[in-house]
Amino acid sequence: MRLENVWLRYHRRGPWVLQGIDVRIGPGEVAIVLGRNGVGKSTLLQVAAGVLRPGRGRVTDRPTRVGWVPERFPADQPFTVTRYLTGMARVAGLGRAAADEAVASWTDRLGLSAFRSVRLPELSKGTAQKVGLAQALLRPPGLLVLDEPWEGLDAATRELVPELIAEVLAADGSVLVSDHRGETVRLPAARRWLVADGSLCEETSSTDETIAVVEVAVPAARVAGTVARLRAEGHQVLRVRSDASTAASQALPVEPPRSVGAARPAEPPLGMAGELAAEQPDAVDAAVESAAGETR
Amino acid sequence: MSALVRMRLAGFLRTGRALAPLLAGLITLGILYGGGRAQPAEAYGVSAVVLFPVLAWQTKILLDVEPDVQRRLAQVTVGVARERLAGLLAAVVTALVTVAVALLFPWLVGGVSGPVDPEERSIPVGLALGLWAHVLVVPAAVALGALASRASVGGAGYGVAVLALGGVGAVVLGLTGSVAPWLAPPIMAAARTTAGDAAALTMLGLSGWALAWSAAVVGGYLWRRRAQG
Repeated sequence: MRLENVWLRYHRRGPWVLQGIDVRIGPGEVAIVLGRNGVGKSTLLQVAAGVLRPGRGRVTDRPTRVGWVPERFPADQPFTVTRYLTGMARVAGLGRAAADEAVASWTDRLGLSAFRSVRLPELSKGTAQKVGLAQALLRPPGLLVLDEPWEGLDAATRELVPELIAEVLAADGSVLVSDHRGETVRLPAARRWLVADGSLCEETSSTDETIAVVEVAVPAARVAGTVARLRAEGHQVLRVRSDASTAASQALPVEPPRSVGAARPAEPPLGMAGELAAEQPDAVDAAVESAAGETR
Repeated sequence: MSALVRMRLAGFLRTGRALAPLLAGLITLGILYGGGRAQPAEAYGVSAVVLFPVLAWQTKILLDVEPDVQRRLAQVTVGVARERLAGLLAAVVTALVTVAVALLFPWLVGGVSGPVDPEERSIPVGLALGLWAHVLVVPAAVALGALASRASVGGAGYGVAVLALGGVGAVVLGLTGSVAPWLAPPIMAAARTTAGDAAALTMLGLSGWALAWSAAVVGGYLWRRRAQG
């Protein structure tokens, strides 16, 4: 699929949200769309999915079957989980038996079995997000577009998302995913598209480039926001510690000095690095990539 | 696409918002037929006129009941054209059900009577003319309701304005001697025709007029949807 010189704005006299985007993604490829809040990541994803029509330019070779997981699943609908998913499976072209089978399979896999007869408005945010994930996968998509798919999901399902992406890629599908939580470290082979000021730059692989570690001091109350922002900008945050003197004894009590982990913004700074290091023992060994090591 | 039509109908019926236009329609028909008995063709002509805004409102509610993001999910799944068409078809189905209720209603409350004079039209002819008048209204009302829907106009206030203008305009511009009758669907002209001589050529012309008007308004709806993204 290719976006050719895509421009988009929401109102006739409004500012251009996307300006001359020209990018291509092939079968078996996954791209992470990165950028600050409001730069147009969701807009770009919706153009790719076919939700929004470019004001100028065009999208070519979009696969026939597209699965789109919106940032917020529309839970204000008078259906139970089973009825909604069955309806969407039928809308996607599955027969009655195939639809029932697909719904049973995906509700089991995503941990929705206990919620099958629960009405959508009664679901928690995370459970509703799982329904959003399920509806996009009822028929194997040629293009899967995930807008902040990890938002609100429990740990088990967060781990499942890369697995689902891998399955789409294995079937020669393409995947576009946005993320501001830093969860995309789970997709090490992904291309990285950085959206800023309406334009898109692709970060080239930095595996053969020198990595520098930058230590940044911020007020404790702003740790979560800073970590999230750095990750959204494509940096790798390895650990968070309270200060230099206590770090060795408190922040990473089970890690050797050069051991690493990705800090998670939603959790307290102290101790979380060690906890995450256990979840991601293969995380790489740089705190923040140097500016010289990135292509913007 | 039929699955999407069924899903939208289910969503409309399950929210309970379908009750409001149905009750409004029944109350209007109750008032209409409460005054005494009339010949079916005449009564149905007026019934079709009063149902026009009710059916348009019903269409707007049906299209508005679906969350915007769900509408986009449907668009991604079935494509732009089918998503639009499924909404219009679901509205047509509900309108036809309401029309069936409207055709049956006067017989239940004794609002119509058979011919007393041999010169008067028989019941089957009266029913056929009534059916024509109501079916004539369906595409026009669905088109107006779609144009007034949130997906088309954006804000709720604009939608109400479009509905009100369309409903009032259809009556006012349809009066005998109107300066621009072609701006409105021919629901008033159809009522006059069912009460009058009901010439086949006139009915054919009015049918074409109604379809052309509806097509133009649906075109406006599709253009607005395209502009809204």
